[in-house]
Amino acid sequence: MTLLVTVSSFGIGAIMAIPLMLGLRSNYPPIRAVFRLIVDLIRGVPTIVWLFLLYFGVTLGHLRLTSLSAAIAGLGIVSSAYLAEIYRGGFATLARGQIEASHALGLSPATTFIRVLAPQALRTSLPSITTFLLALLKDSSIASTIGVTEMVFSATTFSRQNPGTAGLTPFFIAAGVYVVVSVPLAIVARRLDSRLRRNN
Amino acid sequence: MSQQLITESQQVTSAGVTITNLSKKYGDNQVLDNISINVKPGSVTALIGPSGSGKSTLLRCINLLEIPDEGTITVGTTTVEAGTKVSDRALLDLRRQVGMVFQSFNLFPHMSVLRNIAFPQEKILGRSREEAEERALTLLDRVGLREKAQHHPDRCSGGQQQRIAIVRALALNPRAMLFDEPTSALDPEVGLEVLAVMRELAAGGMTMIVVTHEMQFARDVSDHLVVMADAHIIEEGRPAEIMANPVQERTRRFLSAVLER
Amino acid sequence: MDFVQYLPQLGQGLLVSLQLTAISVTFGYAAGMLLALGVSSQLPWLKWPTLIIVEVGRGIPSLVVLYVVYYGLPSIGLLFDNFAAAAAGLTFTVAAYSSEMLRAGIQSVHRGQNEAAMALGLPQTSTFTRIILPQGLRSSIPALMGLAIQSFQGTSLAYSISVSELMSKAYQSSSITFQYLQIYAITGLVFAVIAVPSTWTSVWVERRLAKGFA
Repeated sequence: MTLLVTVSSFGIGAIMAIPLMLGLRSNYPPIRAVFRLIVDLIRGVPTIVWLFLLYFGVTLGHLRLTSLSAAIAGLGIVSSAYLAEIYRGGFATLARGQIEASHALGLSPATTFIRVLAPQALRTSLPSITTFLLALLKDSSIASTIGVTEMVFSATTFSRQNPGTAGLTPFFIAAGVYVVVSVPLAIVARRLDSRLRRNN
Repeated sequence: MSQQLITESQQVTSAGVTITNLSKKYGDNQVLDNISINVKPGSVTALIGPSGSGKSTLLRCINLLEIPDEGTITVGTTTVEAGTKVSDRALLDLRRQVGMVFQSFNLFPHMSVLRNIAFPQEKILGRSREEAEERALTLLDRVGLREKAQHHPDRCSGGQQQRIAIVRALALNPRAMLFDEPTSALDPEVGLEVLAVMRELAAGGMTMIVVTHEMQFARDVSDHLVVMADAHIIEEGRPAEIMANPVQERTRRFLSAVLER
Repeated sequence: MDFVQYLPQLGQGLLVSLQLTAISVTFGYAAGMLLALGVSSQLPWLKWPTLIIVEVGRGIPSLVVLYVVYYGLPSIGLLFDNFAAAAAGLTFTVAAYSSEMLRAGIQSVHRGQNEAAMALGLPQTSTFTRIILPQGLRSSIPALMGLAIQSFQGTSLAYSISVSELMSKAYQSSSITFQYLQIYAITGLVFAVIAVPSTWTSVWVERRLAKGFA
């Protein structure tokens, strides 16, 4: 469940971040300002508040989102804002010369963007994206607070059902799983980072 | 003016520097192979040679920024032998007798120019703040930078920063000065300001060892020229003689490459 | 507009959130500095245990840390009330994250600074405290400001161990009025109104710092 929540919300975020990033890079200052406000507002609201807002607050007639879909949607929204900022950072580091060279070659703006700029930006933002994925994995634990039966929820339930005997064990197991998953990812992120630095 | 800069900064006499059988390796890479040099008190030695020849490493071994594998270093009356355990006391003692000026200045960016010069005096010589700052101002005046005292280093040009770095070292009354390509990061005309200060120091009798690509300076100012290549000293002697008639083919090639630029 | 009458409640909650932030940032940064020194140490017996503490602190979700402190530690005889548990848990997380930021700042100081101090003959301790540390701290300021904003947002997790901070006040109010949407939207706005301008300030500070020392 932890992985399902992490992966789905990351997928939603990765796609929704693209239009947001385009807005942040717009040539028109008012559009840029609006998107900047949207992105900062999304990031300014704590994840747990997003989840409660979607889970308890959003009703379509008498229908409410299930806790799982609210969690995925909430984490997806938050991810889209963070990833948009990371994508933007990736594009910002590109040399102006790349755009000029593409124009000089007569490439269309769309081709320039998709074939020249995007692959380079993705490469430079890869370490930040990995780091973000790690943070998301940890944030998926917040889904337990609206009743998604992911790892932390199970640990809490188990320890409440066995108050005398369980003690720290279920939490240590849950914590151990996070560490086991996140430390290798962190090492990968660090490797990517130093490799990119060397190449530049 | 030259006499002033040196006599007031040199309350102790200049010391000689002797290096005997110095060797150093980085892994399998021999960077210094059995180097010996004798620098007389008050004399100027210029170290030249292609990059990677070991001249900067040699300079950095003299004040133990790099620890040599073998050999001895003597500055004045302090001797350090490589391979033996060097006490922190002996290390500081050696470094305090030798001033060093770096290619990239290395002023402390978070301190004003005045504090850059005064702070080490307070820490190392135990001077009071007033005393240290007064001395800093006097020396700044000598190099024409008194008005920069309250500025931070990043508000000064490269040439000004390097002159400040020289003053920072001089304020501690060193008995010898090491210069590691002091003008390489500077535009040629700015480099001249720095070289002028170095000329004054030399004229005032400071012992100096200078790693440099400035052939004019090496010829005019230095008493002794040392040519290094591939971790060895390949030639040494009177600067004018070596530049006119190099004995070694390597020296000839290096000199013509440098002089043609 | 019944929810308006709950605004004072939310205000009280906000006060508790800010208290938690102040405590976790103050003690977290201080502990983070000690951890950073430990991790940078040459002594293996000091380096490895601190490194493990830091990696565990960064690897485990803040929420899990709160559960461990509140539900878990009593089983080995350490009993915290809700507020103390939240303060301790958040401080631990902040300490782990800030230690890496401080370490990165210290490492970013140019090698020439250390060499210049050595060449002048400055002792190691004053080289560190007067030359390296001030420059390292300065370059960690933007990251530390960002972390302070994050930890303010992170106090909302203390809701899960029933600390009466902003989020729990929102939960109580909304379960009485059933005006979930309005109350959580306002709660979100309260967080954003503090976090967003703070973020802009930190970006501004970062640009100022990048311009130099003068």
